[in-house]
Amino acid sequence: MTVEREVSADTANPLGLDGVEFIEYATSRPQALGQLLEAMGFRPIARHRSREVLLYRQGEMNVIVNAHVDPHYNAEPGEIPRSLQPSETPVISAICFRVRDAREAYRRALDRGAWAAPARVEVMELNIPSIHGVGSSRIYFVDRYREFSIYDVDFTMIPTVDPDPPALAGLHWFGVVQYIGADRTGDWTEFYRELFGFEALPDEERFGVLPKGRVLKSPCQCFYLQLIAPNPELQEADQEELLQRVAFGVQDVLTAVALLRERGMAFVESPGVHTENRGALTQGRLGGVMFELVQHTPA
Amino acid sequence: MSEFKGSIADIGMDTISLSGTLPMKLAAVKAAGFSQIMLMARDLTGHAEGVTAAVEAVRASGLRVTGFQVLRDFEGLSGNLHDYKIDIAKSMLEMCAALGSKVLLVCSSTSIHASDDRDVIAKDLRKLAMLALPLGIRIAYEGLSWGRHVNEFTHAWDVVCRADAPNLGLGFDSFHVFATKTSLEDIDMLDPDKIFLVQLADFMWQEIRSVEERITTARTFRVFPGEGVHSAQLAEIVMRLDRLGYSGDYSFEVFNDDYQQMPPATVAQRAYRAALWLGEDVLRRSVPIPGQMRLRT
Repeated sequence: MTVEREVSADTANPLGLDGVEFIEYATSRPQALGQLLEAMGFRPIARHRSREVLLYRQGEMNVIVNAHVDPHYNAEPGEIPRSLQPSETPVISAICFRVRDAREAYRRALDRGAWAAPARVEVMELNIPSIHGVGSSRIYFVDRYREFSIYDVDFTMIPTVDPDPPALAGLHWFGVVQYIGADRTGDWTEFYRELFGFEALPDEERFGVLPKGRVLKSPCQCFYLQLIAPNPELQEADQEELLQRVAFGVQDVLTAVALLRERGMAFVESPGVHTENRGALTQGRLGGVMFELVQHTPA
Repeated sequence: MSEFKGSIADIGMDTISLSGTLPMKLAAVKAAGFSQIMLMARDLTGHAEGVTAAVEAVRASGLRVTGFQVLRDFEGLSGNLHDYKIDIAKSMLEMCAALGSKVLLVCSSTSIHASDDRDVIAKDLRKLAMLALPLGIRIAYEGLSWGRHVNEFTHAWDVVCRADAPNLGLGFDSFHVFATKTSLEDIDMLDPDKIFLVQLADFMWQEIRSVEERITTARTFRVFPGEGVHSAQLAEIVMRLDRLGYSGDYSFEVFNDDYQQMPPATVAQRAYRAALWLGEDVLRRSVPIPGQMRLRT
């Protein structure tokens, strides 16, 4: 017996969002980014069957490094760029959310005004639905993460490698920082609320050592998006909108920082931002790739 | 002594007032002294060298794009018609984004197939606003005076409020206000931050009796502000909006068959006189107000 007659679908979590399946970077220097990810505790696990794409993993976190050149990039003249070509500086090109029903989540997003992103699928590969996100990025929906994984289909495992390497110091997904244009906080808050059920946190509730902007909490309570507007004090503020960095949650920031330093990572130590119990920020590498650590105990 | 230019940076022309090619229109508007221009989709699609070249010409002109027009008969449809209009909207949004325009103008539907349910209308406009959102575009929704179900700015405002999307606001056109004789006092109930575009135009007679006459007058006999018979009401609209705290752009939405037979430079000069009339005689921007700081320039 269920209580469906009395309790309607979970309106606070309309997609049944259940965390992040993977985060994807695009770069034309996949090995350099791979080295950086390895310094952060990730291990290369698998290769894509048809493209220059690698899967890195630690603990529950999957990172995809995509160096594939899209032959159809901006095929239509006059079209605004809605897909990424890998550049030397790695950029966060996609977030993949775990949802109850990917097909349903995708339909619901389109019904509400999301842009469908064209599938980039070869034969015998999974057609993972995605919509356009901020800038040239995409948001994927995946529902097969319990019984089997999407990587079993599209990737071949690298032989002799442990497919489930433990997370360094318990690192786990915490969130993504998104840079937005001036006066765009309301817009992007509405975007993530309408399409995914994210809600804004009160201004006094902040995490880590970079508390600017607005923080949105996922309906599964396990993932955060932080929206950062341009600094109004700067005359010619950069208005570009993009996914700027990933933040990892960790119970003991100082222990994690010590371990990461041993592996060659350097951290920002300035009067404004420096390593402390609340969090830390790695120094930018490869033209600006940085990672944030945030004191956080996973649920 | 420097030449007096007036303070009209927030007032612009619309390409629909001018004959000739897009480069001719851009040159005429700039030469007359304007810093912005409202463009229509046909300016791009009809350009001899194609859309990309048109976008480049606009960018090279240095003129700011006030907005892009116009998406018609969009809201209140269902099934295939809805899906078809979503495709049209996406195409308009992509051109709008390519131009760097921050506003897409949407006119209320005239379609007999459109629903009269304001909540349905609001839902569709909310979806359109969501499509526009990642591109940084705001949707200005205007009540056409011959719209089937939404034909006054008060109706359009109701829909905007119901939809409650951050990047969906009102497009306000003085022509339609005069045509339907909507009370100017209703302007005071608007939220100035949710007015995304104000279009100004007048015409030469007092009464427009039928819907057909509205359409004919709107499409062939509009004149610039200060040239028609509603100058006092037009001034009142602008002053009410100013008092309300509206700080966005004013664009001259003047369709006129006679202006199509005149050199673009001559028409642009008429528009510039209208802009000076608005900026100086109506809003009195060059006159310092003792003991009062003005935040707008």
